[in-house]
Amino acid sequence: MILYPAIDIRGSQAVRLLQGDYRRETTYDADPVDAALRWAGEGAQFLHVVDLDGAKAGEPRNLDAVKRIAAAAQCPIQVGGGLRDAAAVDAALDAGAERVVIGTAALRDPEFLDAMLAAHGDRVVVSVDARAGKVAVEGWTEATDSDVAETVAELSKRGVARFLCTEIDVDGTMDGPALDQLKEIAAATSAQIIASGGVGELSHLESLASQAPANLEGAIVGRALYERRFTVAQAIAALA
Amino acid sequence: MTVRICILNYGMGNLRSVEKALEHVGVMATISSDPETVRAADGVILPGVGAFPKAMQRVRELGLGELIAERRAADVPILGICLGLQLLFDSTTELGGAAGIGLLPGGVAELAADGLKVPHIGWSPVRWEKDSRLTEGIPTETPFYFVHSFAPSPEQGDLLGSAAYGARFACAAERGNVFGVQFHPEKSSAAGLRLLSNFAGVCAATPTPA
Repeated sequence: MILYPAIDIRGSQAVRLLQGDYRRETTYDADPVDAALRWAGEGAQFLHVVDLDGAKAGEPRNLDAVKRIAAAAQCPIQVGGGLRDAAAVDAALDAGAERVVIGTAALRDPEFLDAMLAAHGDRVVVSVDARAGKVAVEGWTEATDSDVAETVAELSKRGVARFLCTEIDVDGTMDGPALDQLKEIAAATSAQIIASGGVGELSHLESLASQAPANLEGAIVGRALYERRFTVAQAIAALA
Repeated sequence: MTVRICILNYGMGNLRSVEKALEHVGVMATISSDPETVRAADGVILPGVGAFPKAMQRVRELGLGELIAERRAADVPILGICLGLQLLFDSTTELGGAAGIGLLPGGVAELAADGLKVPHIGWSPVRWEKDSRLTEGIPTETPFYFVHSFAPSPEQGDLLGSAAYGARFACAAERGNVFGVQFHPEKSSAAGLRLLSNFAGVCAATPTPA
């Protein structure tokens, strides 16, 4: 499995939120490029970059930081947050993103999703974020009635090759990933799944690697890396 | 003395990450297509993403084909990256076909991939097929990052590395001081930096032509 160190940008700084709550934020790096250089320097094979301001605003707000991260990090990056039209997606790719992560718009605007899949294929990751098994949208500020596994199954049929699945209630807690939910989601599709939320110890990564189905492709780790609970190299070894 | 490497700019591809990676390993990197800047460099990198025919058209419009051949004749080390590697070969079958710069004998064709999705995007272990100054200190089967649909068929003696995606394909070539890699060293973590640093070492060891 691939480790995706997370770099969430808000107000041009690298921050972590607790359970997606914009009021419970911790700043870790004044310049997110420092975080990118640190994780890439420790051997990260991919970085997960989120424009939190963009997610809330509905359009990219930190493209300049994305551009600087893409140039500085010696590894590919995927970028999400506020990518809701073709121009925003193109701008993220032009900024140097290898993959774009589309959330709200993929769920609300099937035509947009189809167009992005036709234009960018496997470079498109669809983010399906969940609270108690239901899909959440609009920078996680809004809940829906849609079942996560059903949503993933449906979007797979449209040609989505990779999903990013976040369990909001465990995100930022470091209490462990929502393994059962991940298994249920992974079973609903043959697409690749990146798990996000809750990783706080190496044992969490080890259990993801050992218990997860074959299409669980990677795991996003945020706070635990920033708080130096383990290194990128240790995390990669735990996922191997 | 600091090694100077010129990254050829012909308007295709994100050159900043290559420049940053070179700076990271202590190289003075410039992005240019100006002949005098290129001639002043100890080594030349030909980057690139996109379609071969369009790239060759841009290369021709800027007179870069002749310039690269001239640098080759002066034995200045040249490194092609991704599409840049492909352009160094004789020709491609992409989009109806096109001629390349022709410093490396052989053609470029779509990945066989054996039923897997093309483009091939992701990390794949690279097997070194011979010893090289470019790959010194990098163990065989080290993963590198790829984004491509096509791959070259170098002559047996020029084959430097291979990787597997459905089927095995050539992903690195070397002929004298002409090198090429299908993967992206600038996105391939420590191993990629080592490869770029090795290339800088080849540039440093090659006497600059008068």
